[in-house]
Amino acid sequence: MTFRLTCPVCGKRDVYEFTFGGQERGPRPEQEELSAEDHFRWMQFRMIPCEPQEEWWYHAQGCGVWFRTTRDPGTNLEVEGDGDGDE
Amino acid sequence: MAMSEAPSAERSPPPGRLPPGPTCRVDFSRPLDFTFLGRGVRGFAGDTVASALYAAGVRTFGRSLKYHRPRGLYSMEGESSNTFMAIDGVPNECAETTRLRAGMSVRAQNVRGDPRTDFFGLIDPFDRLMPAGFYYRLFHRPYGLWPLFQNGLRRMAGTGVLDTQHDHGRDGLRAERYMNAEVAIVGGGAAGMSAALAAAESGLRVCLFERRPWLGGHLAWRVRDFEGEPLHARAEALARRLRAAENVKVFTNSPVTGVWGENLVTGFTIGTEDDPFRECHWECRAATVVVAAGCMDRPLVFNHNDRPGVMQAGAAWRLARTCAVRPGWAAVFSVADDQSLEAAVDLSDLGVEVRGVADAREAGRQDPELVAALEKRGIPLLPGWAVSRAMGRRRVRACELRPLDGGGSSHFQCDLLVANGGMQPRIGVLATAKARLAYCTHTHTYQPAELPPGVFAAGSMTGLRDPRSIEGSGRLAGCRAADLASGAASDRRTDTARRDADALPGPVAGCDIRHGSGIGRGAKAFVDLDEDGTYKNVKESAAQGFDVPELAKRFGGFGLGPGQYRVTGQNLAMIMADLRGDPIETATPTTVRPPLAPPSLATLAGPGHDVHKRTPLHAEQAAHGAVFRRAGPWQRARYFSDDVTCRAEIRNVRNNVGILDSSPLGKFRIFGPDALNALQRVYISDMRKTRPGRCKYSAMCNDMGHLLDDGVIVEEGEDDYYFTTSSGRAGATVEWFRFHTRHDGWDYNLVNLTDVLGSLNIAGPNARKVLQRVTTDDVTNEAFPYMACRPITVGDGVRARCLRLGFVGELSYELHVPSSYSRYLWDLLMEAGADLGIRPFGLEAQYCLRAEKGHIIIGAESEARVTLTDIGMGWMWDRKDTASKKVGAPALRACEKQPGRMKLVGFRVDEGQGSPRDGALVVDGAEIVGYVCTTRRSEALGWQYGMALVCDGHAAKGATLSLQEEHKPGKRATFSATAIPPHFYDPRGTRLRA
Repeated sequence: MTFRLTCPVCGKRDVYEFTFGGQERGPRPEQEELSAEDHFRWMQFRMIPCEPQEEWWYHAQGCGVWFRTTRDPGTNLEVEGDGDGDE
Repeated sequence: MAMSEAPSAERSPPPGRLPPGPTCRVDFSRPLDFTFLGRGVRGFAGDTVASALYAAGVRTFGRSLKYHRPRGLYSMEGESSNTFMAIDGVPNECAETTRLRAGMSVRAQNVRGDPRTDFFGLIDPFDRLMPAGFYYRLFHRPYGLWPLFQNGLRRMAGTGVLDTQHDHGRDGLRAERYMNAEVAIVGGGAAGMSAALAAAESGLRVCLFERRPWLGGHLAWRVRDFEGEPLHARAEALARRLRAAENVKVFTNSPVTGVWGENLVTGFTIGTEDDPFRECHWECRAATVVVAAGCMDRPLVFNHNDRPGVMQAGAAWRLARTCAVRPGWAAVFSVADDQSLEAAVDLSDLGVEVRGVADAREAGRQDPELVAALEKRGIPLLPGWAVSRAMGRRRVRACELRPLDGGGSSHFQCDLLVANGGMQPRIGVLATAKARLAYCTHTHTYQPAELPPGVFAAGSMTGLRDPRSIEGSGRLAGCRAADLASGAASDRRTDTARRDADALPGPVAGCDIRHGSGIGRGAKAFVDLDEDGTYKNVKESAAQGFDVPELAKRFGGFGLGPGQYRVTGQNLAMIMADLRGDPIETATPTTVRPPLAPPSLATLAGPGHDVHKRTPLHAEQAAHGAVFRRAGPWQRARYFSDDVTCRAEIRNVRNNVGILDSSPLGKFRIFGPDALNALQRVYISDMRKTRPGRCKYSAMCNDMGHLLDDGVIVEEGEDDYYFTTSSGRAGATVEWFRFHTRHDGWDYNLVNLTDVLGSLNIAGPNARKVLQRVTTDDVTNEAFPYMACRPITVGDGVRARCLRLGFVGELSYELHVPSSYSRYLWDLLMEAGADLGIRPFGLEAQYCLRAEKGHIIIGAESEARVTLTDIGMGWMWDRKDTASKKVGAPALRACEKQPGRMKLVGFRVDEGQGSPRDGALVVDGAEIVGYVCTTRRSEALGWQYGMALVCDGHAAKGATLSLQEEHKPGKRATFSATAIPPHFYDPRGTRLRA
């Protein structure tokens, strides 16, 4: 498996340079009144879609920025354009 | 047909050799002596191991996997395991492609002694007992006998044996290289070179990879005249132009192992005498890839097609033309394409008596020029014929040819039988690039039906045979690749290249021969040479229901060996389609498995550089006899003597004063309007309680509530904090902070000062005395109490951040100074404490000292099953704070009251029980209820203390713990211990506050 990612600072770089931060799952839930179940659901449950998903990546071997990108796990490739507007 | 004459040799060639022609790559003036089975053999520079052995008369190179049949030189490209040998103690080296070096020691594999007289050769007649899949079907019952079968079969069947005495390539001669290119070209034949030249014209960076030591592909050994010059000269002219192109980097000796996502081309380069490496792994990130991998002979399946003396047309031809080795005296051909007819003509001109040429194609499909050339030389051509079997017990002595549509046979005496079913493309590279391949009924080969973005195919693998077409297709592919890589629209150059290519002859019709004539049962007609898979085995697989190639591959082992798809793939699919009665176009190739060429494991393992960091005080500690050990990225001093219990170092800290280089400690500054918010998020305590001049001890948890890191935080100014982390977490801290605040858009800066600042720790009752001697600042207990943090001036005005901490349980000061001052500070303190007897202590002493005090180390006394509260540090957690959304707080809340969790307890081993070791089990009867994290005998305490993680019910104070360890299987030692709070030494902390 090898592909490239577009770092907002450094541009297209090899995936080796990045660490994966998981799917975008929204901001941390409010902890007031947060049930254990809801917390663990937010923390652990993932849908595994075979379609483009928003992901977090960290440019560990580069500039050290966390960024969001939309990528299709089916092809491993980033999807241009769409996805950014759905937040 | 005109064949250019080989120039007459000035002197007669060595025995077994032909006069060197214009395409010869062997230099007879440079002999290389080596040994085969202990006997001396002479080869020459430019030989491969196989060509030198063949020239020396070796015909049997090894024995086959299952039937132990003699096997000989079959291809010249390592397409089967026939010529796998042990070279210099390394098994499974391919003799066909390994360049000969002087002094090599070569041995045959899978044989007892000489491959010509192998004992297990007796097995061969018993093939009836070994049908397809027999291994799976026969030996699984009775189960108890399996080890017997397995060991027996292992001895008889197999390839190389690993010589464990040999240092397998850990020679430091393995390199790595990472490249970028706009256009990568796979294959340095006419098409690849044309593509590279065309792409290079646009000024792009081009990398070309060729697995052979030279460029030219199949033109490199062909001497046929074409447009007024021999074909090899045409290739040489291209190669010269290519070498002159500045923006083309040519890699020879460089097989490609695959093409991956977004056109990452991987492979390796085999070092020559001039290279500083034996093998170099490389990866080339290319915008576009042109695949011009060429063709190989498609093996012909007929009875005894594996006899030494049967070889592919390319192998016989290259032996003669590239290595000047006589492939045989009397040859018979059973082939199916024009290039092989050309080989017959050429070999005849070189003095091999060609007694007959069977061509599986019907009359009229051959190149008339070649037919005339055969006729002129008096070589009978038999169109519509093919070989039905080879004869001779140990090597080919004769063969039988028959018409494919039935009829009488003809016998020919021969010592060389050149057989193929035409040419098949090397589909491996395209397959790994995820091209869709489909059977083409015109060329009777697999052709790319759909190419992935940025990948282009060119050359003879697309079915082209005319050199002009091959070059034209390469040029077109090169132009298209360059256009795509540069983002330019298809330009005029590309249109011209397309028009030119279209005007040239297209793909040549192929031959669909599945197997030789009169195959019969096919019990000795090998589809796969590596795994001894025969035509009969394919039929058996099909009869058992494994009637598609992918299933038959698993059941009968076809194509599982080193040859993979190359020898077996297309034939297996065609034969299977035939057996099922399906149309030939339904034949699908089995999945191609990388690597397409085998790099050595040592190369994959890499150069093995030990990349580590040294602290600024490495030399100073080494001068004191430090023994260094790897700790994370650092080399750190673990001991300062041979005594691994470090008694003297510990005693000196407890009674006097010691000095520790703690430079790898994580050191950070965080500042900005949202710095406190960020601290509140990742630290579990209430970080609003930090105070200027005071250290606040706190910890970070992960979302599961596990302890991740601990350290101290000091407020240094408004929205400006300094904090430390454990050495192991220093590298991940910035990533962690930023990750957990990524949605908040907070304004703060986080700077990693770990490498910028050195850190020294002086600890012991005399620490203050030493410190006071090097500073004018007041460091008395009143002015500088426990947990204070303040800048002080030491020596000649060096500003040091001084933190009064007590990790080891004694009065102790941590001094952080810029790394460049570390050595000055070290000398200063050592000098100041000299009369007191200050001495350095290492990590092991620190480990024991802090354990006596009951201070935990993450990873030693905490692990993935225990949370902050489980290890008794829940007091740090600010339970009321939900607004900061602390990382780990919800999990702590959920687990806090959960029954059955593991807890950290201290224990004291009862008197007279001896000393258990770290990792001993805590047992309750037969049940394991926990384990010992750390245990040591303390000189200060006079008894053996320890910390253990145990299940809930066993953690009560005063409980008796039963410890158990197994020194040898079945030999257990037990110890009884009493659970006590994990604060053994100075539980009230009076010493560190003194």
